[in-house]
Amino acid sequence: MEAILPQLLLAAWLLPLLSFVVILLAGARMGEGGRGAGYLATLAVGVSCVLSIIALVWWLGHHPLGGHGGHSEVLTGDWYTLAQFESLRFSVGYYVDSLTLGMFVMVTFIAFWIHVYSFGYMHEELHDVHDPFVTGADGRNLVRPGRFHRFYQYLSLFCFSMLGLVVANNLFMVFAFWELVGICSYFLIGFYVERPSATLASNKAFIVNRVGDFGMIIGLATFLFACGTLHYAMPGNASEHHPGLFSIVKDATNQLQDKNNAASSHEGTPTNVGHEKAGGSSGLETANKIERNRALTPVLLTLAGLALFCGCIGKSAQFPLHVWLPDAMEGPTPVSALIHAATMVAAGVYLVARIYPLLTADALLVVALVGTITLFLAATMAVVATDIKRVLAYSTISQLGYMMLGLGVGGWVAGLFHLFTHAFFKALLFLGSGSVIHACGTNEMPAMGGLWRKMPWTAATMLVGCLAISGAGIPLVIGLSGYYSKDAILAQTFLFHRMNPLFGWMFYVALGVAGVTAFYMFRLWFLVFWGKPRDEHVAHHAHESPRTMVAALVVLAVLSVVSGWTVPGTSWGITSLLEQSRVTPATETGTLQSAVALRIPDEHASHEHTIHAWVSGLAFLAALIGFGIAAVFYGIRWLDPEDVRQRFRGVWELLAQRWYIDQIYDAVFVRNALRLAAVAAWIDRNIIDWLADHAALSVRRLSQWDDWIDRIFVDGAVNALAAGIYDMGIRLRRWQAGKIRVYIMWIVIGIVALFIIGTIYLGIGANISRG
Amino acid sequence: MILAGILSPITVTHYLVVGIILFVCGIVCLVVKRNIIAMLIGVELILNGANINLVAFSSPQLFASGTAPLLLDGQVFALFVMILAAAEAAVALAIALQFYSRFGTVDVDQGGQLNG
Amino acid sequence: MAGLIFLSAIVFLPALGALILLFFPASAETAIRRITLGITLVVFLMTLRLVFPGDGPAGETLLERSIHDVRFVAGEPGYQHALAVPWIRSFNIEYFLGIDGISLPLVLLTSFLSLLAAAASWSVTKHVKAYSVLFLLLETGMLGVFLALDFFLFYVFWEVMLLPMYFLIGIWGGPRKEYAAIKFFLFTLVGSVLMLIALLMLYFASDVRKLPEEARRQSLLSSEVMVKSLAPGDKPLHTFNLVALAKLGQMPDSPFNEPAWLGKSIAWWAFLLLLVGFLIKVPSVPVHTWLPDAHVEAPTPISMILAGILLKMGGYGIIRICYPICPQGAYELAWFVCGLGVVSMVYGALAAMAQQDFKRLVAYSSVSHMGYVVLGLGAWSLVPGVWDTQYWKMGMNGAMFQMIAHGISSAGMFFMVGVLYDRVHHRDLDKFGGIFGKMPAYTALAIVIFFAALGLPGLCGFIGEVLVIFAAFSYSRVLAIIGASVVILTAGYILWTVRRVYLGAEYRGPHAEALTPLTLREFTVGATLAVAAVVFGVFPQTVFHYMAPSVNRTVDEMAQWMKAVSVNVVESAAEETPEKVRHESTVVLDNLSSEVLEAGSQR
Repeated sequence: MEAILPQLLLAAWLLPLLSFVVILLAGARMGEGGRGAGYLATLAVGVSCVLSIIALVWWLGHHPLGGHGGHSEVLTGDWYTLAQFESLRFSVGYYVDSLTLGMFVMVTFIAFWIHVYSFGYMHEELHDVHDPFVTGADGRNLVRPGRFHRFYQYLSLFCFSMLGLVVANNLFMVFAFWELVGICSYFLIGFYVERPSATLASNKAFIVNRVGDFGMIIGLATFLFACGTLHYAMPGNASEHHPGLFSIVKDATNQLQDKNNAASSHEGTPTNVGHEKAGGSSGLETANKIERNRALTPVLLTLAGLALFCGCIGKSAQFPLHVWLPDAMEGPTPVSALIHAATMVAAGVYLVARIYPLLTADALLVVALVGTITLFLAATMAVVATDIKRVLAYSTISQLGYMMLGLGVGGWVAGLFHLFTHAFFKALLFLGSGSVIHACGTNEMPAMGGLWRKMPWTAATMLVGCLAISGAGIPLVIGLSGYYSKDAILAQTFLFHRMNPLFGWMFYVALGVAGVTAFYMFRLWFLVFWGKPRDEHVAHHAHESPRTMVAALVVLAVLSVVSGWTVPGTSWGITSLLEQSRVTPATETGTLQSAVALRIPDEHASHEHTIHAWVSGLAFLAALIGFGIAAVFYGIRWLDPEDVRQRFRGVWELLAQRWYIDQIYDAVFVRNALRLAAVAAWIDRNIIDWLADHAALSVRRLSQWDDWIDRIFVDGAVNALAAGIYDMGIRLRRWQAGKIRVYIMWIVIGIVALFIIGTIYLGIGANISRG
Repeated sequence: MILAGILSPITVTHYLVVGIILFVCGIVCLVVKRNIIAMLIGVELILNGANINLVAFSSPQLFASGTAPLLLDGQVFALFVMILAAAEAAVALAIALQFYSRFGTVDVDQGGQLNG
Repeated sequence: MAGLIFLSAIVFLPALGALILLFFPASAETAIRRITLGITLVVFLMTLRLVFPGDGPAGETLLERSIHDVRFVAGEPGYQHALAVPWIRSFNIEYFLGIDGISLPLVLLTSFLSLLAAAASWSVTKHVKAYSVLFLLLETGMLGVFLALDFFLFYVFWEVMLLPMYFLIGIWGGPRKEYAAIKFFLFTLVGSVLMLIALLMLYFASDVRKLPEEARRQSLLSSEVMVKSLAPGDKPLHTFNLVALAKLGQMPDSPFNEPAWLGKSIAWWAFLLLLVGFLIKVPSVPVHTWLPDAHVEAPTPISMILAGILLKMGGYGIIRICYPICPQGAYELAWFVCGLGVVSMVYGALAAMAQQDFKRLVAYSSVSHMGYVVLGLGAWSLVPGVWDTQYWKMGMNGAMFQMIAHGISSAGMFFMVGVLYDRVHHRDLDKFGGIFGKMPAYTALAIVIFFAALGLPGLCGFIGEVLVIFAAFSYSRVLAIIGASVVILTAGYILWTVRRVYLGAEYRGPHAEALTPLTLREFTVGATLAVAAVVFGVFPQTVFHYMAPSVNRTVDEMAQWMKAVSVNVVESAAEETPEKVRHESTVVLDNLSSEVLEAGSQR
């Protein structure tokens, strides 16, 4: 029976891929302007959504909610092996627990409504598009064919990649789909390829993500090296296979704990973590394992976990790699809603949650710190931004920071809960802003105002979104979804504050930023919908969006309200669903030698009523203050924000320039990388080539010398000999005069001379005379 | 002394002296004369000088036993030489005629065409 | 019998075709082109026949089986279709061809790319006949290099391939073709000379009689040499047989371990010489500068061949000759190999980033990508006492896969550049833009190919790169981390290029009117490469299935050699290393325990 679940998910996962392939090949031929592509993609993701819901229901039927975490069964297995080298296996497989299913439903559901919404938003692309942001060399705006089908093609690919990332049962597969969602994001940010700003933003997004992925590769390599596998848990019978990452790390840390408990007097035995597991395998493998696991020291484990977290920093736009997300708003607004708010950027948070059992307390502290810094920085930037989408982008970064903080301080469920609720209300806010932009044709909030009357549905749903993100609710009674999830994070942080006083400031920062969140969200709402129209032209053209868009808004608004609630009369809800697959970190206390003792609090402790009441009240107060300030400045306009801006010019400039982080990166990394590249090219041209050319030249020079020596000495000697003989011949020629008389005379003289010589020296004459 | 030399019986040496004189005359004639005919005469003189030599050396006086194995060796050689000389003279005269008809002179120094 | 002559037929068919083309009038250009294409197609089909599905007659030994059937038996690590006949008897030189899992993918790649390059050769209009003849000769040379198992024969094919290449660059090249051709020729020739020295060193140190009889039989010596080796004799029986040389080199008391010069053994020197000789071909920094020039000047199809196949010969030489024959040198110089690999990766990527010329950029990307190959081959993960072969297997397989992947992606990239160059006759990166709007199908294919080079999952570049980095981590963490950073640089230069060339509003260079959509022939070539990139990216097993057994055999042989040689080393290491490790871990533990205890007491 269990076999049906992987098959359901496989179908849900591959349907968008099928849609992608069909649109890729058939493309523009699918109906007028490629409209059929939209239907196909929407159908595919809709069916995926239905399949996911069926899978979830099936799962809940077998694993009823309400239990406590850590004991839930996990269904894991491989679909397909990419490569295998001895025991190192790289495969595509599934790891199904309630979190996976929850993510599946959430992703496909939001994706489905965004597909629907895009029919309205992208309808321009059905015919030739007149792009007002691109001016050709002839001074006219560019007119290009529509790319409706391309948009849906990328969306389908994205859905496939995102689902692949969620369902993955090993880090290798996660990494592969991690990159794939990155490339989908690249394509969709740069959807308007004619706009230089869009292509620049897409490049930036991908390259910044790659910086994170660089760390992630290191993390993967470390785990592969230290544990010999990248699977979370090995499919099948554990005795036949090597254990998965989770159990290896668990064994390692357990052994560590045992070791410590067994007192320090017992010295000398190495930490053969995972030794027991290795018991059944052959001698060689045992040796391998001992050797390898010996490398799995807490330091290495922490570093490896952090290296993996680097990938999450990049994908979830955390400080210091947050710079790409605001620029990514160049893409069409549905994309911003789906990818850059609800799903892809949350993948980083999802991954941290997935690899939670691999993270030590020290690594979690870093996660929390990064989250805190991010949520603060991003919120401050959002305060001064005027581009409606950028405000939302900063807000997204800030909320992702909350999730990281939640996870980092031990609130596994809290962080993920916020991921789900945030997905709904942030998608809603983005779609609402898309509706506004669609109506106004501009992103600038100062040009809007008073749109409440023109587009009531949008205004109302946006208000719901703002309330949800601000965490509105009646403390301890009822609230919107954001109220629950944010309170859960804050409560956990408060608990962390109690246990680790040194890091208490994180709680206050998070609390303060909750107020700031309310401020900038209502600033946005007031600026756009409240008051009087500031630009007659814009206001005149504004109109309510088509029904497809409004439908999506309403559905998401409803979910933004209710997604935090439990089913009446039971404790069933997103939290109990997540609670089912809750995991604990690798260590709950700090393992590194540091000045501070670190303890990650247990999540259940934060459910304590007193803590909850306290934190809830404080958060509500903060949000109320934020709302109040926004209302004072932008709602009833008792105060003019311009005055404040003038007075705090420096601060305003700092925030508007995003703390100058982009400029610093540009100066430090981009410029230097380019400079280094130029140096490499210079070395190539001027040193290596110079050497090669001069080696060749010097050989040529040598050969010229050789040639010279050849001609002067070797040839010279031969020529001199020949010349001498020639000269002698010339000289002898005179004797060879052709005068027979002379010859005869010489003959005679010669004979006489021979005779004389013979006589004198050889005594021939003497013999003759004697004879 | 000269008289004594004249009066002494004629020996092989005397023949040899005559031969040498003839030979040297022939050589001198060859060397000195430019006239091709005169040079031919010189050649004849040389050959005859040689003939006398040949004949003289076949004299029995030169043999310890007093007798030569066959007393006519030298004379036979001389006869061969004479025959050869006649043939040579015929050829040489023909060359001389040709020479004359080509160069219009019998001065050998004028025929330096093969001169290198 | 078909199995025995099949490889020879593959190798010499192009040469035969070249011979036939000689009898054609030079004016019959279309016919000549078609015949060239036809011959490369036949060769490709023949190589494809090797991997035809099915098992063939069963129940016989591998050797007997390969006599009757031309199919390659997957999963067998050994040589198949091996044929050794005496060639030059006085030096025991054999005509020895054979194929195994290492050469099979490369042979297929060669015939595949030759076919595509022949199809891309329609853009060559000068001296078509001479071009085709040289092209076919080149193919014979390349196939011969991958199939030769006699070192001398290998060397001969190596040189055979060199000359046509010289003329193909030197006659059909761009403005600086003479410079490029001579540079290419001289660099490669230096490599050949080093190889020749090593070849002679090994030849004169070798002695077949020192091999046990079993090993001799496994070396597939020709029967004549075998008989000779059985007969008693005083003089050593030298050999060029690569298999026999490898067996000799892997003996614990190998004749190559004799000291040669400066206290280093023959194996060490031979490894170094061969390595440098092959690295020139790979090419690795700092002997890579022939590549950008040769690529920039060579005509498009020749660039495809050059990047797609010729560079692979370097990697092939290293894995086929360097490692098996000279394990000792390989062990001692592993850091050198890996270091050069990493330097090439980083340096090539940086240099690519700074280029203005489209083709030069692609050429430098080749330097960077081939660095992965060198790194993967060199990641000697074996440690005395542990004998962990799997990481090195992963590295070598990754490197071999990277060669195939790079063969496809780089050939594709050069083809894509060539398509643009044929239209607008310039390659200045700043003078492109907006191609997406004018040639959408072309842009789609180009982006697939470029992203394959970028190492995007699902495309062929990813698997090789990641496996190599993972494997390198087991050898040296520092090198792996530096190597991994290349992914950022790669993304940087490729995305920057894509943006400058394909994206944007309008084309900024000359001849805008010439930017016409792809012809059917161009589309076929590009689409084939793109499909191959996807197939190998999604189903890497199609390659590993054939390749891995042979590659793994190489690693296992190294491990066996190391075990045999380093018995003493192991013993001393066993006394030393664990102690050290134990000591270190104890320190860590101590720190840890005190801290955890503290924390516990607080709780």
